[in-house]
This record gives sequence, structure tokens and C-alpha cells, in this order.
Amino acid sequence: MRNLFVRESGNYKTSYSDDMKLFGTTGAKVKALLIVLIVLTLPLFVSNYWIGLFTLCAIASVGAIGLNILTGLTGQISIGVGAFLGVGGYTSAILTSTYGISFWIALPIAGIVTALIGGLFGIPSLRLKGLYLAIATLAAQVIILFVISRWDSLTGGTAGMVLNRPTIGEFSLSTNTGYYYLCAIILLLTVLYATNLIRTRTGRAFLAVRDRDIAAQIMGINLFQYKVMAFAISSFFVGIAGALLAHYTMIVSPELYNFHVSIEYLAMILIGGLGSVFGSILGAVFITLLPVSLSSVIDMLAAFAPDLYQLLSAFKDFVFGAVIIIFLIFEPGGLAHIWLNIKKYFKLWPFSY
Amino acid sequence: MEPILEIEAVSLQFGGVKALDDVTYHIEKGEIFSLIGPNGAGKTSMLNCISGLYQPTSGSIRYKGQEIVNKKPYHRTTLGIARAFQNIALFAHMSVLDNLKLGRHTLMNSGAISGGMYVGKAANEEIEHRKKVEEVIEFLELQDIRHTPVGTLPYGLQKRVEVGRALALGPELILLDEPMAGMNNSEKDLMARFILDMHEVMDITVVLIEHDLGIVMNLSDHIAVLDFGKRIGFGTPEEIQKNPDVIRAYIGEETVI
Ligand SMILES: Nc1ncnc2c1ncn2[C@@H]1O[C@H](COP(=O)(O)OP(=O)(O)OP(=O)(O)O)[C@@H](O)[C@H]1O
Ligand SMILES: [Mg+2]
Repeated sequence: MRNLFVRESGNYKTSYSDDMKLFGTTGAKVKALLIVLIVLTLPLFVSNYWIGLFTLCAIASVGAIGLNILTGLTGQISIGVGAFLGVGGYTSAILTSTYGISFWIALPIAGIVTALIGGLFGIPSLRLKGLYLAIATLAAQVIILFVISRWDSLTGGTAGMVLNRPTIGEFSLSTNTGYYYLCAIILLLTVLYATNLIRTRTGRAFLAVRDRDIAAQIMGINLFQYKVMAFAISSFFVGIAGALLAHYTMIVSPELYNFHVSIEYLAMILIGGLGSVFGSILGAVFITLLPVSLSSVIDMLAAFAPDLYQLLSAFKDFVFGAVIIIFLIFEPGGLAHIWLNIKKYFKLWPFSY
Repeated sequence: MEPILEIEAVSLQFGGVKALDDVTYHIEKGEIFSLIGPNGAGKTSMLNCISGLYQPTSGSIRYKGQEIVNKKPYHRTTLGIARAFQNIALFAHMSVLDNLKLGRHTLMNSGAISGGMYVGKAANEEIEHRKKVEEVIEFLELQDIRHTPVGTLPYGLQKRVEVGRALALGPELILLDEPMAGMNNSEKDLMARFILDMHEVMDITVVLIEHDLGIVMNLSDHIAVLDFGKRIGFGTPEEIQKNPDVIRAYIGEETVI
């Protein structure tokens, strides 16, 4: 008889398929279901403002998971994410606004176009590693933004373009809640995809390329193929995130995709945890909500000391930088690792020592 | 017996250093073949040429009659050539299972799309290959540590996993670079038994690099001896033990055969 109050301790799996299930234990199943339930019922409990913020969190999570596939799994640092978000956003803007194509067709195309361009800019990875590759992706950032801001006839130049929220039949997703659901579902699919990718052949190969590229070759892995593939897959999700963001803010313009955005995404996966899907989400939420919470703290303080307002606002960037440095020094495993430690602590509770 | 691997006049130069100098020998199908020689003789460099990590300056390497000297390393793996490294090159963060599964990379098919969806074929493939990997785990007696991250294992076990990862490919030719280095005698005996079983039960051609000449003489069908990149001996263990050049090279190193 199974005792509900006792956690499984031994390994009772009797077949390989059991051993390899994503949600192996009943506990894991319940947990997954609970998370999905919370995500889906959230709009019932929080204000419209917060739904908007959570939508941004979900979109950032999709992009962060994408970047983590490249940087966390395959060990290739990219500082061109901002521009790739732009490729996704502009592709969808051009397809829907200029050509009147449905959002539902434009969204996957935005992902695919970004994947192709990402793969193209991944070609230098054949010869370049580490810092040198990072600089090459910086070139991607500069080149793509240059093209976007100069190709006026296609992109509207520096003025940008205006987009609409999508519709499903008669039903418009123009409300924050409707759009939140769309983004939440896409995030869910992204999480499932990335989790499965990591535990199958391609994901293992990515890790092998990251950890030991010479041994990876001897395993029969074509380094070039997998490095470029990582760029393409990663860019696909970044492109999807870019398109979702564009239809959310309903505007695309070059300055929305500058270098600062690339750094923010890198900060998300560094703070969240390199190579961790869950960590990507934690990091995305953290970085998305950080300026908001800092602002509210500053507003509160400003009520008492109005003169300080200017000074404190300048402080925001400082805090952003400081948080990243603190994580790099004290918790290189990121929020995902902290979460794991908390779980470990409670698993043994009350005998934590 | 037909040769599985033919090394012909292979030379390899690093700047002024001749790591390999006009080396010729062949390995017969199904035998245990040993490559010996003092430190720095060029043994590992030889394996690197065979597995494609180094490009010989000149010479020819034929595998089952086919010239492979210009083929990429990953391509040679698909031909059935597996390799265990001298300096353990396992993926330290991954479990034993995942390391062995990586050994089967070329035998699996799922890609980025099917793998990411984990439906149908990709899922079945993971399970089917898990079974094959479990055979290797059983053979090398790694059952208790299959889920353990390799980096946390003691050195001797890591060496064994390194060999296991090469075996997981189900290779025709396995290149073992000092699989017993740093082991105590009972661990060495165990590894020697594994090597004999690979050869007798699994019908794999084994290329072994090993400094313990007692073990080499016992296991090998044929031996090639390198010294300063030159082949100074090639033949059966009896022939090698009588070869004056070999004796001289080893006495220079104060080792007695
Ligand atoms: N990548 C390289 N660059 C420069 N020199 C190298 C390189 N690889 C090997 N060598 C040189 O080639 C020679 C042979 O080295 P190798 O590693 O093949 O010897 P070995 O027989 O495997 O020695 P050991 O028994 O110590 O493993 C040495 O002089 C070494 O310094
Ligand atoms: Mg060596």
C-alpha cells in the first residue's frame, strides 16, 4: 500500500520507458498540472496591469529559453539576441501589416526566417569560439539593425511599423487577457520542446559540443552542423518571441532591438541558470520585473524625499548591473540552483541539518 | 586473415618534431594489436591520425581497403571506429548512461524536431538504444552507477566508462589508449578480461596502447613498437621480445622485457 505521506525513496521503476518519463512520479505529474493550472487561472486573480507584465514575462521566457539553447547548452555566447528579436518582429510586421497575411501564418514564418538568418550568422562558429564568436554575433547585431533602419521601403526605416493584435475567427486577442493566454500556451510548448530536446540525441550532442568538442567529434558529431543548428533553433524561438512582443506592443522600430536588449537576455540566462529551462523562465521573470519593482520602490521613496527622485532613477541601471555581478560571483548556478537548494532543504525538513 | 587497417608510410610533423616518421604496419581483422613504445614515442599521435584528429603530413591509412586519410573524424566514427582517450575525455556533468548514449550518436536518427517533440519514433529510439547501452553497462559491470554523474566517479571507474562509451558504438575497431594507466593490479586484471571478451565474444578488433609489457605480451596477437616516431619493431610477441632494436630502446629506458 502506498503511503501518501511518504515520498518515494527507492527506485521502483520497472521498465526503461518508466525510467525515462518526463513526469515519472505522481508528485511530478501533480506539480506539472498545478503549474499549468496556476498559469491558466492567473487572469482571474490579478489586475490587468499585472496580466500585461506576465505576458511580457512569458514572451521573455520564450526568448530566454531560445538563447539558453545556444549559450547554455551549446556554449556559444551570442550578443545579437536583440537584433534577432527584431528579425522576428519585423518579419511578422511586414507579413501582417504590409501583405495582410494572417498572424497565425506570420508567427511561424517569423520563427523560420529568424532561424535561417540566425543559422547564417552562426557560420563563423566553424572557426570562432568563446569571446571571438561573441564579437562575431555583435557584428550580426550591428548589420541587422543597420539593414532594418536603412531599408525604408520594407521596414519603414527609423519610424518603424504599426501592428495589430491577432484574432481567432470572431474573437480578438486585443485584450490583455486573451493575448496572455496565447503567450502562456506558446511558452508551455516551448518548455516541452526544450525539455525534450535536452534529453534526446540532439540535446546530448549540444552538451557534448559545449563540454568537449574533440571527444564530441569522436562520438561522430559533426561539430559545424550542430553549432549552426544550435544557432538556428535558438533563433527560431527568439524570432517567435520577437513576433509575439511586436504584436503585444503593436509597434516595431529599430531602437527597440538595440544592444541593451541583447545584454538583458544574456542577464536572464546568467541569473536564471545556464542550460536550465526552468532557470530561463526564472531569469526572464526576474529581469522583466526588476525595473518595475525598482520603479515602485523609487516612487515610494520619492514621496518622502522628492529631491532624491532624479538620483534614484539613475540608480536603476546601477542596481541592474550590480545584481548581475552579484549573481556571477556568488551563485554561478543561477536562480535555478538556488531553487534546487531550497527544494533539497525541504525534502529533508525538519531534519535539515 | 585480411587486414582491417593498413598504415602505410605515415609521417606526422609538428614544426621541428617528427612525431611519426614513415611508419608502416597493418592490423588484422579480429586480433588484439598493441602499440608500444617509450613516453613520447608517438603512440597517441598514431591513434589521432587513425581517428582523424591529426592529419598526417604524408602517408596513407586504409580501413577495410578504403582510404580514410582525408575523412573527417565524425565520418570515421560512422564507419565503426571507436576510441577511448588516454586523458579521460568523458562529459563530466552527464550520467554514465548519457555518456554511453552519446557513444551511440551515429547509430541513432532522431533530430531536433522529432527529438524535441518526443513522440513516436524519437521516444521508441531512446528506449531501444537504452537497451543496447544497458548491455554495455552489464558487460562492464557499471549497473550501480548508471545514473551517477561521471565527474564524481573515482578514476578507475571513469577509465572503465571511457572504454564503455567507445564500446557503446558497437564498433568493428576499437582504439584503447592506455585503458589501464593508473590502475592497481586487480583493476588491470579486470580490464584485461574485458579486453579479451571484446575480442572473443564481441568479435571486435582491438588496438591497445599499454606500458605494462607483461600484459601486452599476454594479450596481443601482434605488436608494433614505436621509438621517437619510428617503427622499430612489428610482429608477434615472440618476435618482438627477440628484436634487438626493441630491447635496446627499452633498456635505454631501464625496463626489462
Ligand atoms: N598537438 C601537438 N603539437 C605539438 N607536438 C605534439 C602534439 N601532439 C604530440 N606532439 C609531440 O609528438 C610526440 C609524440 O607524442 P605522443 O603523445 O604521440 O606520445 P605517446 O607515445 O602517446 O606518449 P605517452 O606514452 O606519454 O602517452 C611528442 O614529442 C609530443 O610532444
Ligand atoms: Mg599517449
